[in-house]
Amino acid sequence: MNEKERLLNVLKGDRVDRPPVICPGGMMSACVTEISDQVGGGHHTSSKAMVSAARKINELIGFENYGVPFCLTSEVEALGACVNLGDNLIEPRITRYNDKSLEVIMETYSPNEVTPVRMGIVLEAIRELRNSRVPVIGNISGHISTATSVVDPLEMFKLLRRDPERAARFMAFINDYLIRYALKMVKAGADVISISDPTATGEILGPRNFQKFAVPYYQNIIKALHQEGIPVILHICGNASNIVAALNEVEANAVSFDSIVNMKTAREKVKTGLMGNVSTQLLHTGEREKILSIIRNALHSEVDIVAPACGLSMATSVSNLKAMTDYVKEGYYK
Amino acid sequence: MDKETLFREISHALVEFEVEKVAELAEQTLLQNIPAFETITEGLVTGMKEVSRLFEEEEYFLPEVLMCSDAFNAGLEVVNPHLDKASLEKPIKMVIGVVEGDTHDIGKNLVGILSGASGFEVYDLGRDVPLDRFIEKAEEVESDMICMSTLMTTTMDGMKTVIDRLIERNIRDKYKVLIGGGPISQTFCDKIGADLYANDASSAVRKAKELMGRV
Ligand code: B12
Repeated sequence: MNEKERLLNVLKGDRVDRPPVICPGGMMSACVTEISDQVGGGHHTSSKAMVSAARKINELIGFENYGVPFCLTSEVEALGACVNLGDNLIEPRITRYNDKSLEVIMETYSPNEVTPVRMGIVLEAIRELRNSRVPVIGNISGHISTATSVVDPLEMFKLLRRDPERAARFMAFINDYLIRYALKMVKAGADVISISDPTATGEILGPRNFQKFAVPYYQNIIKALHQEGIPVILHICGNASNIVAALNEVEANAVSFDSIVNMKTAREKVKTGLMGNVSTQLLHTGEREKILSIIRNALHSEVDIVAPACGLSMATSVSNLKAMTDYVKEGYYK
Repeated sequence: MDKETLFREISHALVEFEVEKVAELAEQTLLQNIPAFETITEGLVTGMKEVSRLFEEEEYFLPEVLMCSDAFNAGLEVVNPHLDKASLEKPIKMVIGVVEGDTHDIGKNLVGILSGASGFEVYDLGRDVPLDRFIEKAEEVESDMICMSTLMTTTMDGMKTVIDRLIERNIRDKYKVLIGGGPISQTFCDKIGADLYANDASSAVRKAKELMGRV
């Protein structure tokens, strides 16, 4: 069974010889400083460097996938926010929101344009990476994180309460944009789409807002991808305990949680695949033995896919990550 | 409406984040010559205390707290010009920001908003703030406190740098240094020699007041 078959089978709910160990990319980027130094930088802006970094992560660290891009800012930048691309030590980040009104934003960014700026580079990298052996994961940022990165998050959060219809219109616009981008990724050769939505965490939204402003939109994007036969992984950051049950309704092929979520409890509630949830703090600063012991815990909680619990710190060492992938592949935990 | 009922209505409307209604009720207190100070402390602040409680109990989340804080500000705007400044304690000044390299500012904003609603004078430097800027601003406004936030392990050492620079310049004792955010802990606070750590916005405000001797 090769890496691609294993991941696709697991996402279909079929039996596999052992859980795959992956790091999807996007917000969950394994392009740590050691890797980006080797690539020589440029992995956010050139498809060649992006491809090279994705391959090195697979070869040197052993994560069983290619995943691009390495940030969650490419779609946000295309919608008019300003981004500082960071360097080999710090990730890209938003420096200024689009200060136009929501209606102007919705009009300006015409419905068909999903290739400007860095999105085109990501699509090209996917085209270059497609192959029959290693699964290619296209990463997008969820609609809540995207919306609250394009415009000031506090204004957006208030709008959910002050003018829910207007907020819903904007969310739908963002989600449409993301659906078109994801479908382009599929066309370019992505085998799996992974959606990360850090800002949709239950801690920030709470269960009621999550049900109203997150669930239906995930359903739409996942339905669109399923129509193309593409499986979807959905990652929610932070303490998602109060929304775990609601996630069954979105029918992702796998859901992924941060390390604060207890996977035994999640396993009982989640009907779909479960991915996770090796503490990123531990992967950064912990000792090898401790890392292996929490991977063992995750496996005993019956996660279907082993992966870092959330976004890795850039300072995480390749050797710690390699210890993680080796452990899962060697299968001593059985 | 008598005074007590008005205050109760104000708190209630604030908790229900009825922004316009809070402003209207505040206008009424002025018409009835109720001292602005009382409206603030017994109407608006009481409401915000209830909001803090609902937030701690996970009944309210960020969207709701932000709307309530808008309602608070709407009321404050109406009565503030009529406030007898002489009757007030000198407000505690705080400079707050997210340290360089980090743009996570939702938690910092919440701390800033609740502090403002509890009578602190808040100077918000925003996010991704160059480390020296904290000190410059604190010196400029003669702040009582320097508050730093970060959610990333990669940027938390910036907090220590700020404290070290305060020591270098012999002004460490002029300020209380408060820190918070995901990876921050009491242990880290002790290690870098900060004065106070809090793990959420409500307790941050409470502890900050205690630290300054205002309960
Ligand atoms: C929402 C979120 C985002 C949003 C931020 C939107 C915004 N404008 O803030 C977006 C999507 C933009 C984002 C981006 C990124 N994120 Co992020 N994000 C989160 C998430 C899920 C929640 C944070 C949050 O807002 N919580 C809600 C608020 C209310 O809580 P809080 O911030 O903790 O604040 C409370 C207390 O801490 C305290 N407090 C806070 N500040 C202070 C200050 C003082 C003085 C005091 C006393 C108290 C105090 O009071 C607050 C209110 O109660 C966290 C996960 C987590 N569990 O924290 C990851 C997390 C912080 N992100 C992470 C990462 C990796 C990133 C990215 C690098 C992603 C990437 N790979 O591209 C980028 C960051 C780019 C950069 N360099 O800045 C990692 C950080 C890992 C690390 N290095 O340590 C985290 C921990 C997730 C994870 N486990 O991987 N993210």
